[in-house]
Amino acid sequence: MYKYDQIDQTLVNERVVQFKDQVERRINGSLPEEEFRPLRLQNGLYHQRHAYMLRVAIPYGLLSAVQLRTLAHIADKYDRGYGHFTTRQNIQFNWIRLEESPAILADLAKVQMHAIQTSGNCIRNITSDAFAGVAADEYVDPRPVCELLRQWSTLHPEFAFLPRKFKFAVTGAEEDRTILLCHDVGIALKKNAQGQLLASIYAGGGMGRTPILGSLIKENLPWNVLPSYLTALLRVYNRFGRRDNIYKARIKILVKALGPEEFARQVEGEWATIKDGDDNFQQSEWDRVASHFTKPAYTLAKPISTQELINSAPENEQAAFARWLERNVKSHQVPGYASVIFSLKPHGSVAPGDATTEQMLAIADLADQYSFGELRVTHEQNLVLADVEQAKLLELWHKAKAQNVVLPNIGLLTDIIACPGGDFCSLANAKSLPIAKAIQERFDDLDYLHDLGEISLNISGCINSCGHHHVGNIGVLGVDKDGEEWYQITLGGEQGNHAAIGKVIGPSFGAEQIPDVMADIIDTYVKHRTADEPFIETYRRLGVTPFKEAAYLNRPKESAATGAAV
Amino acid sequence: MSQVNSILLYPKGGKPSIIANEWLVWNADESELSKLDQKQKVLVPFSWWLANGQEDTKNPNSELAKRIAAKSIGVWFAADDDILKHAAVIEAGKSIWSLVAADFPIFRDGRSFSTAALLRERFAWTGEIRAIGDVLIDQLILGARSGFDSFALRSDQNTDVALKQFDLFTVTTQNSWRDRRSQLDSQISSQPNRAT
Repeated sequence: MYKYDQIDQTLVNERVVQFKDQVERRINGSLPEEEFRPLRLQNGLYHQRHAYMLRVAIPYGLLSAVQLRTLAHIADKYDRGYGHFTTRQNIQFNWIRLEESPAILADLAKVQMHAIQTSGNCIRNITSDAFAGVAADEYVDPRPVCELLRQWSTLHPEFAFLPRKFKFAVTGAEEDRTILLCHDVGIALKKNAQGQLLASIYAGGGMGRTPILGSLIKENLPWNVLPSYLTALLRVYNRFGRRDNIYKARIKILVKALGPEEFARQVEGEWATIKDGDDNFQQSEWDRVASHFTKPAYTLAKPISTQELINSAPENEQAAFARWLERNVKSHQVPGYASVIFSLKPHGSVAPGDATTEQMLAIADLADQYSFGELRVTHEQNLVLADVEQAKLLELWHKAKAQNVVLPNIGLLTDIIACPGGDFCSLANAKSLPIAKAIQERFDDLDYLHDLGEISLNISGCINSCGHHHVGNIGVLGVDKDGEEWYQITLGGEQGNHAAIGKVIGPSFGAEQIPDVMADIIDTYVKHRTADEPFIETYRRLGVTPFKEAAYLNRPKESAATGAAV
Repeated sequence: MSQVNSILLYPKGGKPSIIANEWLVWNADESELSKLDQKQKVLVPFSWWLANGQEDTKNPNSELAKRIAAKSIGVWFAADDDILKHAAVIEAGKSIWSLVAADFPIFRDGRSFSTAALLRERFAWTGEIRAIGDVLIDQLILGARSGFDSFALRSDQNTDVALKQFDLFTVTTQNSWRDRRSQLDSQISSQPNRAT
């Protein structure tokens, strides 16, 4: 993975000094809270319900074992012994003291990490495919472009106070695993017949209050001109994005108002004047950065069939191991290797995406032993060991069991994406975590979960949609109705190449009703599905009606209806 | 109408310093320009210039012509002025205006960073560009790199702290008006782009 050079390290060190001074001015009173707020946000520091929350960037989801140990120590020393992996490949610490935040940043800088631009109205942490560089369906490894753009966007002076936050995602694979179309800018990489690396640019996607899928505004853009093209795009947004209404300030509103063609035309006009400047990446820069993303020293391993792997396990463990192989192990570019997903979604115990100090330390050791000392963070809030020899899968499974991260529920109903919700977040209208817990407890039968197959269930505690409910096959959105917490259900959302925004099925429900409503929706699917038809396809074939009827059948109208106005 | 006492001047390639302010920011909605002392250096709103500036400059005896001759007039751009729509006016202004400024209606409104960048890049503006309005210490680095070289800091800002801002960063990872990214300078040779 990428290692900082002297320039990167100096920049991060100097940023720590700058932020320390800003915090000191806040504490001595010369910097009022209102003016400090955007500054602390640009360094990932939120003021939440109970304390400050620090969001640390894990650029494009890539993490070394050494870095994970530092995160574990930060959780132990400055927090309450755990961290929360987010839907945007960041980690959050929930119990931070303002006075200690500069010291945390200094600790992070020592392992080439930072919290720069993890919040604020600026270019946020750039996210990418958690299986970059190893996925069997990859066209191009997106990580060099991600890293070059990370550097380009870091402390960019012109775009630090945009109308609203700005999120990039980059993919280079056949199957999109980045929710590309729900980003302010999505960059899809591929190579043409001549081997040139080209980008397609999608703009104006986003979730939140007005979920919109991004529009293709530029094709076949050579990789090296991304800085000038993105400068043009951001400049158009910075100048003309709305600033009068926070809910209409994202680029998606501007793209929608102008129309994608007109927006693309304006960007093109701006770009024409700067496209040949030396903002653009040079080949030497590519060479320097790309040299960090060479393949690790794979051994020549013989591919092992799934059946052989299962047979290698003791007989009484074969069923469980087989299930883990099926759900939590993914195919790899290199024969004899596989990628392993550790589930941070154990049923009914902690928040989705949480890991304790003890788990992080143990997982870092496993990464060292089995995966060249590197890990990935998925936007589904799980961890990945990307380069595991198939022959060692059984051994790894045994060891990881002790950390409670081998539940074979990846991609299943209980692999719930959820934001921290009202338990922590001061923006939330309702709690997310107890809902996730109740659903996981209700659907605790692994046989049944496996029989149901792939279903994504995403929960957001408010319309900011950090829990990505819009793209869940089943989405749950917390809403506030006269000070009470209610939950609206959407169906039909999907991420990936068939990305879709879910549709609201009707009036919202009380928290205690949600597990039963889920059961009714799932039962409807089971009743109507054909042989191997996944949930989303049954939904598309039948439409919302049977699901809606089941969800509202025999439920007292008044309790359902009172939550209607959202 | 407003006039701060001092200005933080930070010329490209130079050192930052605090100097006395000579320029008055005129809002056009209070009093008449003619009522201001002829010797008073005045920044007029760009929108006012569009409405009044061009005609008046043609008459050598006009109020504006005298001020142009005395080098005592400039314009300030509001955050929502679309300067690219008025390229010809700005080109002509290069030889008339002694100073231009861009306004920050509130510190967290970043439009004027793009205005300054466009003035430098697109219009090759080589004269001083001043940040006015809600200009705070923590915008200085951003402004200085986007294209500003003078700052009318809000009066409550500590100038000692302000002057130290420019020493905070010794490296940069993207080009700006002031400097190229450090990576380019650290490389021995850089070849033109070829396919990867």
